Amino acid sequence: MISVQSLTRVYGSHKALDAVSFEIQKGEVVGFLGPNGAGKTTTLRILAGYLPPSSGTARVAGFDVVRDSIEVRKRIGYLPEAVPLYRELRVEEMLRFHARLHGMERERTRRRIGEVLEQVQLADRSSQLVGNLSRGLRQRAGLAVALLPEPEVLILDEPTSGLDPIQRLEVRALLTELARRHTVIVSSHILPEIEAVCPRVIIVAKGRIAADGTRDALVRQLGGASHVRLEAVVGPDVAKAKALLASIAGVSQVVDGGRVGIHHGFDLVCDSDLREDAGALAAARGWALRELSWRTPSLEQIFARIALSDGIGEASGGTGGSIGGAPRTDAATSPAVALAGARLEFELRATPATAAAPAAAPAAISGAAQAKPKVVYNLNPFDGGARRDLGKPKAIDGGSAERKEP
Amino acid sequence: MLGFLRGFSAIWRRELAGIFMGPLAWTLLVIAIALQGLLFLVYLKTSQGDVDLALRFGFGESWAFWALAALFPPLLTMRMISEESRLGLLEYLLTAPVSDASVVLGKFAAATSFMALVWSSGLLHALLVQAAGVAPDWGAVWGGWIGAVLVSGLFCATGLLCSALTNTPVVAAFGAIVLHIVIVILPLLSSLTEARWIQEAIARVDVLDHHKATFLVGVLDSAYLGFFVVWTALFLYAATRSLEARRWR
Repeated sequence: MISVQSLTRVYGSHKALDAVSFEIQKGEVVGFLGPNGAGKTTTLRILAGYLPPSSGTARVAGFDVVRDSIEVRKRIGYLPEAVPLYRELRVEEMLRFHARLHGMERERTRRRIGEVLEQVQLADRSSQLVGNLSRGLRQRAGLAVALLPEPEVLILDEPTSGLDPIQRLEVRALLTELARRHTVIVSSHILPEIEAVCPRVIIVAKGRIAADGTRDALVRQLGGASHVRLEAVVGPDVAKAKALLASIAGVSQVVDGGRVGIHHGFDLVCDSDLREDAGALAAARGWALRELSWRTPSLEQIFARIALSDGIGEASGGTGGSIGGAPRTDAATSPAVALAGARLEFELRATPATAAAPAAAPAAISGAAQAKPKVVYNLNPFDGGARRDLGKPKAIDGGSAERKEP
Repeated sequence: MLGFLRGFSAIWRRELAGIFMGPLAWTLLVIAIALQGLLFLVYLKTSQGDVDLALRFGFGESWAFWALAALFPPLLTMRMISEESRLGLLEYLLTAPVSDASVVLGKFAAATSFMALVWSSGLLHALLVQAAGVAPDWGAVWGGWIGAVLVSGLFCATGLLCSALTNTPVVAAFGAIVLHIVIVILPLLSSLTEARWIQEAIARVDVLDHHKATFLVGVLDSAYLGFFVVWTALFLYAATRSLEARRWR
């Protein structure tokens, strides 16, 4: 239904969209997710035929959005973010005007106006001025306008922005209903909206598609390892308990989460939910359990990670490092960790020699300095920088070699 | 073509309704009708009962006509594109299945038809005179009215162009009014200079003379008709292109 190929759009010197490609089948409901300024609105505007792309092609229902713009516009219902409606018109007049623009016959217009007003629950407001409607009602009026000509594709830009939670729920319910009849593209920077309505999610960041797939696939693909969290009183021999836990079939790694009061926390990295096995083991050993939970990374964490990192490669690469290194805190939601992970990934690729170095972060910093062969002023008192010859750049290879040699 | 007409007429109707929904249109209409009516009495007196001359004053021989013709269209067109762009309505209109040209033409037609209504007060005066027992030269009356509408059409087109070039209605109105004042006082420049080529150049684009020399005396000359149509079309084309250019910004 919609086919987009290496779409690029440039505003002056700013590249809002950078070679974006995706396909949407008929009847699909796709959520466009991304932080503000990621290029969501630009993409939707191009699809709606409002903005021409700087390069690349976009086709809706087989028609090119630039060459057959009118044909495309006949087939879409577009609701811009600002919900532009003529304030001085009544709701019904606004709809009638829209019907006239679409060349709908009188009989069909009357029927459809009744239907869409019913659908968005505005039937009792049909003779109210658009300018007097509240934000939520205006949003619904805008939806009614977009729905009026029974479009094949619905393009909704931030349909829930500026709404209160109840109105948001209503719009969400409406979207779920619409999803049955139309191909729908919804953009939002609010994740639960997208998660609740759209089976498929396209995450956009900095003008590129960072991820594309169903919610579960994204979580599996980018979320990294899921784990079972176990907190129990395991007695003094923590190492033995850890070994026991690691022996459970399916557990690939056990991370010691440290002591919490009299309890000790463990994270069992595994692909499937092993709570029962872990629970059985705890019961067999007589450990007093405080917590036993199954944790999978949520789409929200993935989203935050993508939004905070520079791109796709780093985002998915950083995952392994941060999950393995610090599974206690939600690695993704803490930006510092996610970024450190991303940088670590970069370093690993740049200088393989440091792969074994445990102090990843300082290595990363001096590694970046290596690119610039100038004096490094290192103020880290534990780095031995003060004794070093500042005239020479510090090589990380040297540091790690020292550690390896003995 | 059919699609073009559909969009054009829908937008024309909406814009005309939009004009009348605001207080501005009614104010303008009252001012124009009152002023023209009052001045018609004055013209009657100064022309010593020459009905045709008095009607001609109302349709273009007087300064009052040109003042109204230059000031009103920018006030009507100033918001048509600039404000819609600011409110995002342009995004709505330009994603509806209508061409940019039909959007511009619809708005232009709405403003021009309002101006046609404004000038029809002159027709009313002619009717009154007829009722009073003196038959006016109806050919000249209709010619004057048509000329007045053509002049307003040209000024609406320039006003629309100004509106398409900016996002601020006031700037659009100001720009258009300045342009119209230049157009109206251009003939005065002729009298200031001796240079033939300047005078000839001015005569070629002299809107006042093109209106007064033919339409006002009841002559429908295709060359003069063409003058207005071509210039109006030129400005409308520029407005359409500048609307299109908004997409690229």
